[in-house]
Amino acid sequence: MKFANELTRNILFWVQEKRWLIIIALLGLVMYQLPYPDGISPAGYRTLILGIIVISLIITEPVPLPAVALLIAVLEVAFHIAPAAEVAKTYMNDSVFFIMGSLMMAVAIVHQGLDTRLALGIIQLTGNKVKHIVLGFTCISALLSSFVGEHTVVALMLPVGLSLVRNCRKNKPIPNLTALILFSIAYGSTVGSIGTPSGGARNAIMLEYWRTITDGGVTLTYFQWIIMAYPMVIIGMLSTTFLLQLAFKPEFKSMDTAIRRLKIHVAHKGKFSGNELLTILIFAIVFFCWIFLNERYGLGIIAIGGAFLYMATGLVEWKQVSRDTNWGVILLFAGAISLGVQMKNTGTALWIGQSLMNQFSPFIEQFSVIPYLLNIFLTTLLSNIMSSSGTVAVLGPITLSMGGDPAYMGMTTAISSAFGYFSAIAAPACMIIYSSGLVKMTDFLKAGWRMAIMSTITLLLIYKFYWPLIIGFTNFK
Amino acid sequence: MKFLIAIKNTKKESKNILEIGCKIAEGFSADLTICYIGKQSKALIEGDVNLARKTLSEWNIHHPGLEVLEWAFNILKEKGFAPNSDFDVDNLVEEKGRIRMVLSKTTNYQIGLVLREGDLLSELNKEVKHSDFDIVIMGSPHRKRMINKISQFLDTSIFFVKNFNPNWNYKILLCVDDSRATKRAVILSTRISKQFDAEITSLTVSKTSLFGKGYRNAHIWAERYLQRIGIPFNSKLLSGNPVEVFVNEAGEDHIIIMGKAKGNEFLKFIWGSKPIHTAQRANCPVLLVN
Repeated sequence: MKFANELTRNILFWVQEKRWLIIIALLGLVMYQLPYPDGISPAGYRTLILGIIVISLIITEPVPLPAVALLIAVLEVAFHIAPAAEVAKTYMNDSVFFIMGSLMMAVAIVHQGLDTRLALGIIQLTGNKVKHIVLGFTCISALLSSFVGEHTVVALMLPVGLSLVRNCRKNKPIPNLTALILFSIAYGSTVGSIGTPSGGARNAIMLEYWRTITDGGVTLTYFQWIIMAYPMVIIGMLSTTFLLQLAFKPEFKSMDTAIRRLKIHVAHKGKFSGNELLTILIFAIVFFCWIFLNERYGLGIIAIGGAFLYMATGLVEWKQVSRDTNWGVILLFAGAISLGVQMKNTGTALWIGQSLMNQFSPFIEQFSVIPYLLNIFLTTLLSNIMSSSGTVAVLGPITLSMGGDPAYMGMTTAISSAFGYFSAIAAPACMIIYSSGLVKMTDFLKAGWRMAIMSTITLLLIYKFYWPLIIGFTNFK
Repeated sequence: MKFLIAIKNTKKESKNILEIGCKIAEGFSADLTICYIGKQSKALIEGDVNLARKTLSEWNIHHPGLEVLEWAFNILKEKGFAPNSDFDVDNLVEEKGRIRMVLSKTTNYQIGLVLREGDLLSELNKEVKHSDFDIVIMGSPHRKRMINKISQFLDTSIFFVKNFNPNWNYKILLCVDDSRATKRAVILSTRISKQFDAEITSLTVSKTSLFGKGYRNAHIWAERYLQRIGIPFNSKLLSGNPVEVFVNEAGEDHIIIMGKAKGNEFLKFIWGSKPIHTAQRANCPVLLVN
């Protein structure tokens, strides 16, 4: 009796721990048995089931992410969506190289301790006034994250911000000033990450989807991306500074003591070391290669070339790169891109896109902006639930098939995936400032709704008036 | 014996949990482990978060969980529980999904500090299995379902510290029935009673006015045991809905001690049990004895 009870308890515990896995498996099984909807092929329907399974597994996380990536490959073959050789091919492409290279370079750059240099630079630029510091943090986070990637900037900037907040604490609590400083880094790096393809993995994934999923294959160079997206970054960083100060009125206007303490903390660094200069030089080389050579060699090959240079020059050891790089995410993005390609090949993406658009068909003729609005809404919603980087991977093929210009729709998806302002899980910076206990979940909502409205309006204005203006600079049409 | 105190922040509630936990552990000369279980980042951004945490630690800005543990360690030190050493992050050891601080042993018992990240129930379960704890002391979760799961799935005694006020003189409400764990609950209650200098009320409740043999025997056994130990007590036999009677009798100034329920685990998972419902509805600390 005792043994039976213990066994039941262990089974129940396993069931409640893996409840999402069981629910998702049952859902998949039920869907598999249901008759196919009209307008979709059997392979397309099975791809749809796989897509639902993958999104649900990523959101609920009942199994490790790399396991989801493996499941995609297994089910693509088992569901007869594509033969094994084709599945293997879709798992590795330039975007996956790019994500891998960027993550490895981030480890190398962060390892050099450039954060203290950055702190000194910011202090010299901004001075002691709170409003200048907020502007400085937002702009520097945004500018840097658009080139070196959000994850690198977060690792470099957050220590500076958190240290400033800690040194600033006086007798009375300063929740608004704390939120102001921390959100300026978190939102600043998020706003900036859309500025160039190297700003985040999601941008590279969209480039891959354009290349492989759209009819005729849309291509966009590194520089063309900057032309299209950078106005959004510039408007974004200025309005972020304004909106944050509106949401969080600081308790005092100057941070003399905190700045003095920060100066003492970073003063011992002395002049630039050879390693630091070499780190910056290698990144500069990579950056220029991305701009001038990406059409010839691809962003990914250049990125892993940069990672090679960091290791070859001894700036970072393989052991360190291997330990600090999130290989699971690389594998997951590889799997998600493979699924995206199959969604295109089997017609699933088109079917979902058209089904969504059919709901709004009476209005689309009058308001051509509707697909873009729906795109922004879906992307923002999912990035707040699942994190911004995963959103483009799973949503990209669908938004590209929702009607509207695929180039503009893709850009809208990539940009609005950065609108994860409402939750702590959308971006690493948000997660860290939330887990520090210094900001509350309600602070995300307090600042987030303003940011979301501002970002959506800016994006729609850019789509309507700016992108048609610069059509000559891009090879979209 | 080994006790585990789970805390989540440096607020007053956590301080109260620490105070009551230390007091009880003192009575048993038990080894005491303080455990912080933090929320885990989404796996998609976990790598980025870890990278940022590395640079943060170079600026002496550590994982928020470590700050909570340092705060707890300092409280233990103030009360003379922890060794008179500093909280040194260099003494952290990473092992099997948990981070532990290596601390020297005091004369009587060992203090441990552990940091975990992930789902509360799953991490608590792993920690209990890892070190074979006798009692887990924690705040009462806001979600009733979580109380149900913790009570059922943690294979140990659980002390839910709810509405504890360190300035009050608590009495003990010992709930006696025919369950296997009642005897252990009676024995534990005497030790805790001594520690709190608290009077015990031994209470047996039957749904009808008739008390079955099992209930009567358990009640008599508890009375005899308390008499033998020499603890001041009074005993009551009441009829009514047991959970309602326990909660009403306890009010806010009692510590309820009762055995975990026997019976079918599946039904317990769906419907709960008397101890689980009592822990969910009581307005005072509740100890469920395994």
